[in-house]
Amino acid sequence: MTEVSTNPKPATPAPLWRRLLPPVLAAGLVGVLGAALLNPARNTPEGGPLINKPAPAFTLESLDGAPVSLASLQGRPVVLNFWASWCTPCREEAPLFRELSERQGAGQGLAVVGVLFQETKEQNARDFIKEYALAYPSLRDPGIQTGINYGVSGIPETFFIDREGVIRDKASGGLTRERLNAGLAKIGVAGL
Amino acid sequence: MWGLLALVLGLLLSVSLALTPDQEARAERLGTNLRCPICTGLPITESTNDLSREMLRDVREQVVAGRSDRDIYAYFAARYGNFVLLDPPKEGSNLLLWGAPLAALVAGGAVLWGVLRKRNVAAPSIPEAGTEAPFDPFLAQVRRETRGDDRAGGQA
Repeated sequence: MTEVSTNPKPATPAPLWRRLLPPVLAAGLVGVLGAALLNPARNTPEGGPLINKPAPAFTLESLDGAPVSLASLQGRPVVLNFWASWCTPCREEAPLFRELSERQGAGQGLAVVGVLFQETKEQNARDFIKEYALAYPSLRDPGIQTGINYGVSGIPETFFIDREGVIRDKASGGLTRERLNAGLAKIGVAGL
Repeated sequence: MWGLLALVLGLLLSVSLALTPDQEARAERLGTNLRCPICTGLPITESTNDLSREMLRDVREQVVAGRSDRDIYAYFAARYGNFVLLDPPKEGSNLLLWGAPLAALVAGGAVLWGVLRKRNVAAPSIPEAGTEAPFDPFLAQVRRETRGDDRAGGQA
């Protein structure tokens, strides 16, 4: 009976897999947590959850009082820009939109549409439009319902909608010519 | 100040939508888990900008319409992504993130328990092993001498 206790256990080393298991588990855990921390928005596709989804429908009134609906633009690629007169990057990208809107065609051509986002004074928006000679309609969005439907979280934000009415790209922040051209390419429109 | 403003706004909204106190509480609870998209880490119940107010109105409308919490969260997540949820649902990769440390803790506890138990079983054998220790001449000498003292003491 005492033999068992008197004989010290032979110091056989644990199998390799058992010695490696804890550090491998720990390293794996650290890796997963690190990857999650470094990619906070990985659970949504690039550009938000609306990319490659049908563009939310809207029927809004332009500052001129004309109703504009997304349905009425069906069959045309649409560049939808959320903006406000108080937003500095909107001011910086306005000349690009001016240039782009010159391409705006009636039939099947490109449609450029602006939507006001938290515009405090409509007159400021009118002045802005005049200052940059914007020739496309800018729409009032009472209740910001369209803004919410498009998941707008800061302006400017520009959505590129293809002929089928699917959002193919979204640009957050002021557009550069390159960024605008990248968006246009995704909806089959030649760049500037 | 902001709290008061939010309360007044909430009251105004609830009057216009005629929410029951239960619905009101539910809308408030849902709102505290929805991030204001244009603020830094504030729920829409605590921010006072137009967008948050409209989102809260949306929440109230959906509560009145009898939609489930899950549906309402899904409605906002479909537009803004899961980022809009201050406490994202624990499913998918989130579940892994939440569950992995917990699982590691449990596994670590199990390993520790196993090690401690093994040590307790081994412990009683240590004194026995001590008596069987190799011959120690110094200890033997001490024993001899103390025994001798005892004998001497006994004779005296």
